[in-house]
Amino acid sequence: MSAATTAKAPTGVWTLRARGFREFARKFARRSDGVLGFVILVFFTIMAIAPQLFVGALESAITASGDGLGPPSMTHILGTDELGRDMLNLTIHGARVSMVIGLLATVITVVVGAVIGIVSGFVGGLTDSSLMRLTDFFLVLPTFVLAIILAPIILDMIGVDAEVAGLRATLVVIVIVIGITSWASTARIIRSQTLSVKERMFVDRARVIGSGNGHIMIKHVLPNVMNLIVANTVLVFAGAVFTETTLAFIGLGDPFLPSWGQLLYAAEAAGAPGLGAWWLIAPPAICVVLVILGFTLMGNALDDILNPKSGVRR
Amino acid sequence: MGGTYLLRRLVQATLTILGIVVLNFFLFRMMPGSPERILLRNPHLTQATVDAARARWGLDEPVPVQLVKYLAATAQGDLGYSFQYRGQPVGEVIGNRMWPTIILVGIAEVIAIIFGLALGAYSGWKRGGNVDKVGNGVSLVLYSMPYFVIGMPLIIIFAAELGWFPTSGMLTPGATYASPMDQLLDFLHHLVLPLLTVSLGLIGGYSILMRSAIIETRTEDYVTTAKAKGLSENRIVRHHAFPNALLPTVTIIAINLGYVVAGVLTAEIIFNWPGLGTLTYQALSVRDFPVLQGVFLILSIAVVMANLGADLLYGVLDPRVRT
Amino acid sequence: MRSPLRARSARILASAGLVGALLLPAAGPASAADPVVLRVGVTQTLDSVNPYGTALVVGYEVFGLTYDLLVGFGSDAEPAPGFADKWERAADGKSWTFHIRKGMTWSDGTPATSADACFSYQINLDAIAAGENVGLGYIDPSVAAAGVTKAECPDAETMILTSSDPSERILQNYVPILPKHIWGDKTYKQIGEATFDAPQVGSGPYQLVEWKTGEYVKFERNKSYWGKQGAADQVIIQFFGSADTLVQALKAGEIDYARGATAAQFDALKTEPNIVTVAGEANGWTQLGFNTYGTGTGKTIPKGGPSTKALQDAAFRDALGYAIDKDELLKRIHLGYGVVGTTPVPPVLSQFHTDPNDIRTFDLAVADQKLTAAGYVKDASGARLDKEGKAISLTLVFPNDDDTYAKAAQFIQGWFKEIGIKVTPVPYESGALVDVMLPPEADPTKTADYDMFIWGWSGSPDPSILLEIFTCAAIGGSSDSLYCDTKYDDMYAKQNTLGVTERKVVLDELQQYWYDQAPYHILYYDANLHAYRTDKFAGWQNQPKSGTPLFAYGTENYTLLTLASEASPSPEASAAPSAGSSAGSSAAPATPAPTGSGGGSSTSSDNTLLLVGVVVVVAVVVVGLVLSRRRRGSAEEDDE
Repeated sequence: MSAATTAKAPTGVWTLRARGFREFARKFARRSDGVLGFVILVFFTIMAIAPQLFVGALESAITASGDGLGPPSMTHILGTDELGRDMLNLTIHGARVSMVIGLLATVITVVVGAVIGIVSGFVGGLTDSSLMRLTDFFLVLPTFVLAIILAPIILDMIGVDAEVAGLRATLVVIVIVIGITSWASTARIIRSQTLSVKERMFVDRARVIGSGNGHIMIKHVLPNVMNLIVANTVLVFAGAVFTETTLAFIGLGDPFLPSWGQLLYAAEAAGAPGLGAWWLIAPPAICVVLVILGFTLMGNALDDILNPKSGVRR
Repeated sequence: MGGTYLLRRLVQATLTILGIVVLNFFLFRMMPGSPERILLRNPHLTQATVDAARARWGLDEPVPVQLVKYLAATAQGDLGYSFQYRGQPVGEVIGNRMWPTIILVGIAEVIAIIFGLALGAYSGWKRGGNVDKVGNGVSLVLYSMPYFVIGMPLIIIFAAELGWFPTSGMLTPGATYASPMDQLLDFLHHLVLPLLTVSLGLIGGYSILMRSAIIETRTEDYVTTAKAKGLSENRIVRHHAFPNALLPTVTIIAINLGYVVAGVLTAEIIFNWPGLGTLTYQALSVRDFPVLQGVFLILSIAVVMANLGADLLYGVLDPRVRT
Repeated sequence: MRSPLRARSARILASAGLVGALLLPAAGPASAADPVVLRVGVTQTLDSVNPYGTALVVGYEVFGLTYDLLVGFGSDAEPAPGFADKWERAADGKSWTFHIRKGMTWSDGTPATSADACFSYQINLDAIAAGENVGLGYIDPSVAAAGVTKAECPDAETMILTSSDPSERILQNYVPILPKHIWGDKTYKQIGEATFDAPQVGSGPYQLVEWKTGEYVKFERNKSYWGKQGAADQVIIQFFGSADTLVQALKAGEIDYARGATAAQFDALKTEPNIVTVAGEANGWTQLGFNTYGTGTGKTIPKGGPSTKALQDAAFRDALGYAIDKDELLKRIHLGYGVVGTTPVPPVLSQFHTDPNDIRTFDLAVADQKLTAAGYVKDASGARLDKEGKAISLTLVFPNDDDTYAKAAQFIQGWFKEIGIKVTPVPYESGALVDVMLPPEADPTKTADYDMFIWGWSGSPDPSILLEIFTCAAIGGSSDSLYCDTKYDDMYAKQNTLGVTERKVVLDELQQYWYDQAPYHILYYDANLHAYRTDKFAGWQNQPKSGTPLFAYGTENYTLLTLASEASPSPEASAAPSAGSSAGSSAAPATPAPTGSGGGSSTSSDNTLLLVGVVVVVAVVVVGLVLSRRRRGSAEEDDE
């Protein structure tokens, strides 16, 4: 959306948005990379919403349907793991786990990051510098150490039986840990944008009228930062899935509700590379890469469209 | 003027390092499970043994006291003794493991910078061309792959199946060599796959970075002016576009350097590469505080110095920024 | 006009050509007149080369190579000559006399006499007298358990240990005999904390010469060793981060022996040429333990402890045992390797183990029946209620560093669900788990908030060590079942003081009682899955017969190895079978080992640093050249 449209009087902001959306959709459709990313994500989201529709319940040791370490065959298209569980089943259920963890972690990251970024950038002064110090503090927190520290504390707080959005308690810990260690960079990015939005004239106009800080932040700053937030959210999602996969690979996953990272960890622990059991590694690895790639492609496309830098060469 | 700026930044850097060190000091002691109980899973475990171990490791004193003692000792260069490798000085424990990581990360960074920046610059300049399409695509895919996702297939194909390279380790265990050249070759032979893994992991990101930086500078006014003046394309790239694109890229690379060590952990795990990553991971699981403190001290110095270096480099490369 | 980018790429490629050359498979470590090296791989990482400072199996193997024990272990783990070649118990049963072998020297040439043995035992006796431990406290308790109160050396070849303990535990101590001329001036405290830097001086078959922390330990042949000279001139024990890399190294011939493969890898290794696999009986087990806190004491933990009183009821625990299919666990998780678990005395300790009567079978109907009979009925929805009317929901905790625990937990969760008991498995980072399982007796802030757990223990030649963890006194220490039962304590105390035959009787009773009470259900006695290559070394023997060649008891099997290239692999009579016979074990060395190592044995770390420095410099130079060319080029063309 060009500066020209938003410079008009703020009435009918939502009408403007509807018009803007159609134009946006048109631009988006022309970005083949963004569309590709979108398609990938739709595919995985469908799998993630109701995996049991496709493959039935998550197989456990007791309900394993095949022989141990069976290569791909007619009955098990992606083979079986060392306990005989069907890899297709595990991988599709893994989609749900990885995506839900990513989603929840992203929500935490973006909400906290955006709030702190906007407040910090807008209010400025002492609030700004203290919030920035806080942000720096969170930027240097080591993720893995934090995970170890927080796990028993969070488990204690929510109870080991807890289930949030179908995630077991141990995975909730991972969500919180990723959220805590990711919001800081989002906050910084949002803050920079807020600073530049602050300069724009209509904000001063509103202030002259006598609107309060909160009102200005919500009604004026937020819509103008929203584009960046949206683009950033998608990229944060990619990062969250990346981080979760890595944390699970180091052993912080949940063997009872395996994410793709946990499946890769299990493959490594079972000695899959040495045994040549590539079917334990390939499905989760390819899925991880596709999802992260999808988010990145879409995020880049959104970023280009919503936050045009000088010279749109398309 | 340059002098006070530098001094000010150095003081800032030192304070930051101090802050990080103190933070980590407390964080480690907040981890559940105490070192003496973990390292001594002994059927004879009596309270007396546990207490003795605690006392020996200075853990029975209040944490602030421990902190003061630690800071005083560290300022004198004494990093203490490892809990896990009983009696071995931390400096030695870390020293042994530092070089493998530095080499792996250092050379990988160099390779990734050379190839990544070159690819990104070319892709960005000839945007939409064949090199860009393929190169950018490959970069994006690589960028989406954690190190172990790159590494595990490499191991399966090149080490396990084809047998061209060893599957793990840095040197053939305890071998004796007829000449330093033999040892160097053995080392390099072991280095190939881990190096390839880390380099590929980094190239993607740098290429993408450089590409978008070049794209941005391409459309800057001074570039259009230069073109209007009739300057050759390659001179524009070399003399204007590239250096200006280098700025933000270099900044990010420098900042990245500090974090790459932690990032390389998963690569070190799958290759059994005896570096800082695996050392840290192990030390964490047994709560070897002195070693952890030592590693994080080094890492925070690296990160802060890298940041400082990036800022100074920025000042050198872009005269507008100098104070 | 050539594009500058193309030119630059050309230069880059040229430097890459250098890299290409390096991709050729390396010449590898060199050739003839090399020392014969035995390479052993383990997945543990050595923590200390101080015998009193190590908590790991690999640590015991390490110090066992450098230092002799007073009495060694023979081919079936029976007492065999060590530092002492003969021994006998006094007629009045109040002491033992050990005859120290004549003519031994330390690896530095100093004569080895009984004074060294007395000194080595005195270290432990001093600590025991002071009520403390030496180092980590793994070794001195066994001296105390053997009832040793005094060590005297009337002459250079005789040591008398005073002990009225009727058992023969005194022959199974892991006390390393240290050279008095090096350590004699140190107290037990100092020795417990000393770093024992390489090179070490000992009387064992191989002397420690290098410890590269986190990587490997290296040993050199002790030329003045009193026993057989093994074929290897050097031994290297290397630490691997995972079983996968370990097994890969074995297959590639990078190591000769691998300790610890997974079941699947083990099976795969069977078809490899030149590799022999050994599934040794383990002295240890994996258990499903219960938090029985409050049994016998009635104590409770506010906001913690077991979630239901049912766990304190032996009948409840017993019934659950019928809902565990141990054979299935062994088959599915370990591919059949291992032995179904029963009592806390592993069967490998054949003189002490007794199978209990009425071993439980897997039968969910029986489990259901027994639970109901014991007063635990199902409600309308099928959930099992405890006697307080609450639905039974058990948390099952386990460490996340061994994936077989998670698998076992999954099975157990499934089976218990069938009998109406909800199980919530919770993996913990192992350090955190230690914390979670602590009771207030260990630390007033801890709450032992768990119901069941899966973990493992490994034992030693004497069964008492592991039986101790179920005593009341062990709560706050090593007890994780928090079990307290005076009857058990009495039996434990009693068997500890008896001679072999009477002890067996009490142990039988104790094992049966324990099995009925079931503070744990021992799932299985793990198998030690080792494998070794036969193309370089021969003469591998298992110790005991059902065990593994290395990492068994003592290190004699290292000396039994011969070169595979030598035609006759006669299974040499391993150490003399029983106490009292002098093993004329000064056999001729198996090979005229070319001891001259080609001079390149300067600490590899120095060389690596140097070479690495060279490589880094080269890389930097290359980059510098590439970048500088660009700048120089533009300067020439600059006409702005």
